[in-house]
Amino acid sequence: MKLANEHRFPGDEEFPPSKPPVRRSKLGGGYIFGLIVAAVIVIYALTGIYQIGPSEDGLVKTFGKYVMTVGPGLHYHFPAPFQSVVKVDVRTVRKIEIGFRTIFPPPNPQYREVPIESLMLTGDSNIVSVEAIIQYIIDDPVKYVFNIIEGDRIVKQTTESFLRERVAVRGLEAVLTSDRDKISQEAQKGIQKTLDTYNAGVHVVNVKLQDVSPPSEVIAAFDDVNSAKEDEQKTINLAQQYANSVIPIARGNAQKILNTAEAYKESRILKAQGEVARFIDVLQKYSLGKDVTRSRLYIETMEDILPTMKKMIVSGSTTGVLKLLNLSSLPEIGGVKR
Amino acid sequence: MKKLIIFAIVVIAALFILSSFFFTVDQAKQAVVLRFGEITRVIKNAGLYTKSPFIDKVVYLEKRIINYDIQPEEIITSDQKRLLIDNYALWRIEDPKLFVESVKTVEGAQMRMDDIVYSYLRDILAKHTLGDIISDKRTAYLQQVTLLTRKALKEFGVYTVDVKIKRADLPQANEQAVYQRMKSDRQKVAAMYRAQGEQQAAQTKAEADKECQIILATAQKRADELKGEGDAKALEIYADAYNRDPEFYRFWRTLQSYKTAIASDTTVILSTDSDYLRFIDKENVKTK
Repeated sequence: MKLANEHRFPGDEEFPPSKPPVRRSKLGGGYIFGLIVAAVIVIYALTGIYQIGPSEDGLVKTFGKYVMTVGPGLHYHFPAPFQSVVKVDVRTVRKIEIGFRTIFPPPNPQYREVPIESLMLTGDSNIVSVEAIIQYIIDDPVKYVFNIIEGDRIVKQTTESFLRERVAVRGLEAVLTSDRDKISQEAQKGIQKTLDTYNAGVHVVNVKLQDVSPPSEVIAAFDDVNSAKEDEQKTINLAQQYANSVIPIARGNAQKILNTAEAYKESRILKAQGEVARFIDVLQKYSLGKDVTRSRLYIETMEDILPTMKKMIVSGSTTGVLKLLNLSSLPEIGGVKR
Repeated sequence: MKKLIIFAIVVIAALFILSSFFFTVDQAKQAVVLRFGEITRVIKNAGLYTKSPFIDKVVYLEKRIINYDIQPEEIITSDQKRLLIDNYALWRIEDPKLFVESVKTVEGAQMRMDDIVYSYLRDILAKHTLGDIISDKRTAYLQQVTLLTRKALKEFGVYTVDVKIKRADLPQANEQAVYQRMKSDRQKVAAMYRAQGEQQAAQTKAEADKECQIILATAQKRADELKGEGDAKALEIYADAYNRDPEFYRFWRTLQSYKTAIASDTTVILSTDSDYLRFIDKENVKTK
């Protein structure tokens, strides 16, 4: 600011007399000359004004040598060639995509695969496609600007290198399933450590595996394994369904058999009890008068059974003849009575 | 107006002459000062420096780490597998004097680097198997390559920060073989899952059938027991009662069974001698 004031000083001096334009001709070019020189100096001084955006830091250099860092806001530095400023975005989280590129960002995202980056060898000599992102911020802009060139490319290459290394120590199955988180954690650690040895001034916020899948050449075979697993479960479920339906039916049938048997048992006993009760009744009467009861029972029975039968009554003396009767033609000789 | 132009020319000329006495070195750069092609000064720190105008020439060199992506090279591992190695080297100009004297430019240095890194990489990796190279151990191998490269490039004023493998892939032909193997592996696994399903299903069904049979047989057994119990109990009841007068029982029961045993269309031939019909004969009516 001191410098600017010095430069502005002669301008101020010249300013009031420049008001009346009529004087110009008398005083000649002296005023205009001074005015122009002053204006050039002021404009030159003003080129030192610069703005640092809200997410940036400014690195101020004096004769090319870094002297200080300034935060967001309006600042002033001595104009070139005395001072200059390098602006670095230090608060925005940067993102690098490995194995794919976003062509259109969400909400209707479109991605393009980059197989040369995504295809990796696994420890069991299979090939897997790994897509990942790394997010990082510049936590030391001085290092980032003055120690490395193309920081983004170094971060990307380091990430690729570590992802491959971490994938290569595992089998395909583990990469696809259980070890995803471990891979990204180990990679993040290794990347950070390596970048620190480069004094890159980069802080790795996150390494995330996105789509980890078998290569497209073999994906159908992998999908078939999944459908085979489903088939397995389906077959088992069907069998279970069968078991679930058949066993209750068997239980029902078993119960039916048991019930029938139970009923048989009960009815058999009840029938026996009934018959016995009748017999005992009769027996009690019988004991009162045995002959009479016997006769009565006999006669009653005959009354009961004879009416419905076809009968032939023969005299006692002819019984011998009757033994020779043709039994099949018996009804026709029904009339043979005395 | 004339005056102004003259003044401007004077000022510009003065600044130009003044500036020829000075030069600045940026924070990211280093410089060597050449006088008639001979290096007189090496400047490694940024700032403002003076020089003799017109006879001193300043050559600026990069001070930051340079990232050199080396062309992918095919190597053969100790187990005779071919591997496509895509690596990169990070390096910086350590000794500007040596650097300018030997390789002069970044491109010149990188040309040397290509040959040196590749030969070390091939030498070292050729001693190891593919499995080792793609595994954890490659960090150690690369460390070796880095150290050897560092040593070799030192004479060019170059410090090799790191040599890393970005990608280690199989050549195209081998890749196809891997895919074929992966496919057949998966087919085996798929077949195994399906077979397992069938096996377990068959087992489940067989067990269910077995259980059904057991359930029914158990029920049948119990049913037979129950029927037996019923029969026994009934017999016991009958026996208890009938034993009171077996002879009468026989008579009574026989009479009863006539009612059911003899069908209604049975033809009977009755003799008047029978007990029941004897009164049909008049002679028997008389009291004896």
